[in-house]
Amino acid sequence: MQAQLTPKFESPSLYKRLKGMLGVDFYRLFHTPMFYIFLAVAAIIPAMVLSMGGMEGGAPLYENTWNIIAADTPLYIVNSIADYSNMNMVFIFGGIMVSVFIGHDYRSGYVKQLFTTHAKKKDYMISKSVVCAFAMACMCVTYLIGGAFAGVLTGASMKVNIGSLLIAIFGKMVMSLGWASLYTFLNVIFRRYFGISIASSFLIGTGIPIIGAAALIGNRSALNLFLYGSSVNACLSSNIVTLGTCLAVSVVWAIIYNVLGTAVLANSDVY
Amino acid sequence: MNAIEIRNLSKKFGSKTAVNNLSMTVPAGAIYGFIGENGSGKSTTEKMICGLLHPNGGSMKLYGRDYTDPDVRAKVGVLIEAPGCFPNMSVWSNLMLQADNLGIKHSRQEIVKVLKTVRMEGAASNKFKNCSLGMKQRIGIAMALLGNPALLILDEPINGLDADGMRIMREVLVDITKNYGSTVLISSHILGELEKIATHYGIIRKGRMLCEMTAEELAASCRTYIALQTGDKNKTKLLLGSRYSRVEEDESGCIRVYDAAESEEVVTFLYQNGITVSEIWRDKIALEEYYIDLMHEKEGRSL
Repeated sequence: MQAQLTPKFESPSLYKRLKGMLGVDFYRLFHTPMFYIFLAVAAIIPAMVLSMGGMEGGAPLYENTWNIIAADTPLYIVNSIADYSNMNMVFIFGGIMVSVFIGHDYRSGYVKQLFTTHAKKKDYMISKSVVCAFAMACMCVTYLIGGAFAGVLTGASMKVNIGSLLIAIFGKMVMSLGWASLYTFLNVIFRRYFGISIASSFLIGTGIPIIGAAALIGNRSALNLFLYGSSVNACLSSNIVTLGTCLAVSVVWAIIYNVLGTAVLANSDVY
Repeated sequence: MNAIEIRNLSKKFGSKTAVNNLSMTVPAGAIYGFIGENGSGKSTTEKMICGLLHPNGGSMKLYGRDYTDPDVRAKVGVLIEAPGCFPNMSVWSNLMLQADNLGIKHSRQEIVKVLKTVRMEGAASNKFKNCSLGMKQRIGIAMALLGNPALLILDEPINGLDADGMRIMREVLVDITKNYGSTVLISSHILGELEKIATHYGIIRKGRMLCEMTAEELAASCRTYIALQTGDKNKTKLLLGSRYSRVEEDESGCIRVYDAAESEEVVTFLYQNGITVSEIWRDKIALEEYYIDLMHEKEGRSL
């Protein structure tokens, strides 16, 4: 065979590049036990919270099953565990899942194979954000199933405004994109330090910075500009505007974190 | 056209300079042996060429385009350190993933082809983590070959392999250069193996390129010598040492005379001094010896 002295270079479109990379990332997601473990964890947690609240003669944590999904009103300030234990917990565990998923790229050396293809740094950010958002949205679904099932078993009230409940659920699912982008960004920054990646994702996922801010400034709607704020805002009194806010906040933060992550990758050693 | 053209490349890790003003030219179609001791900057240079590390200075062009162009990098097959595979997935799945990333249309046929090239047809269903080191290195090469790369960068592909693994790897590398027509940049410590396939060489030391040459230039630079065997080695060495400027005994016990003397002249001289030569032949020093000589020369200069 003749030597490839003047090779032909192709410039595949963003769609083609992403198609390949998303295919790989989804394949990996569905073929890793970690994904199913996190889905199970997401289902078990609301069941445990609902059923354990009433143990040892104590008052049940919630009288209404759907409070395990979201609070009745947006509560940025946390006064009790009941104010905190809802579907937002998915974003805490989701952060750990994203760290494990992305950390594996670096530990296995897969990134060095990846970046010697057409893949651009922004493709990497987009693909990880989308796939991890999908995984977190799936965790929201199993959380919902686990919570509803436990509600039936514990005999807690099921009364709810269906529209608001659906908006709260969809709102939180939509927020997955923003959270996944944030975690992807954190994992890109701390890519050489797996432990720090997990710790930082966990810390930010708990919403401590926003809870702290709320303690200082009170329950202000301005907090909805942030991921945790909007996630809390998707509650059982939500309306369509809430869903729109969630979508806008999630997309804007996803873009910001993707741009920042791309810049970090483009200006530093990848591997 | 040059496959790789590097000018004044530098890379620092903190205060440590890993690559220092390195310039390098790899012509398209060449098999470029990249030689240097541990920590000399070979892997760092290769990682920069692949876009995995960010240089602190200098310029790099691949086929006349800037190295950051992802379209060029897609034509670069890479095996750096160890293959980047998922340990719990099968060999086939790992190759499929890379084929998807590369957007290869007929990925199945291509994977069968590369597995055949690296003699791994029967191991496609094995989990990557269960493969031996030699198999893993060959899987890495198979991965690098996907998408018919114009440039193949192989970092120490022979390291850690047993004799049989090395033989298979040599055959694989020869097959690649024959069947894929790729330009190959290969770094290795096993210079004897490299000498069998390389058409060009670059010798790096402490992050600097000491010299670049073609195999022909190397052959011309490698000193010829006369090797001989006699019954009395010590007396032979003393006698020859009095007449020729460089006389050495090699590992196999042969005496080497490096000056450009004629064999007949040496035999006659020894015979006149009462020594009979049992065997005599003319030879050239190997790449490994040339490299060691060069290193000693530079070491001497820097002292």
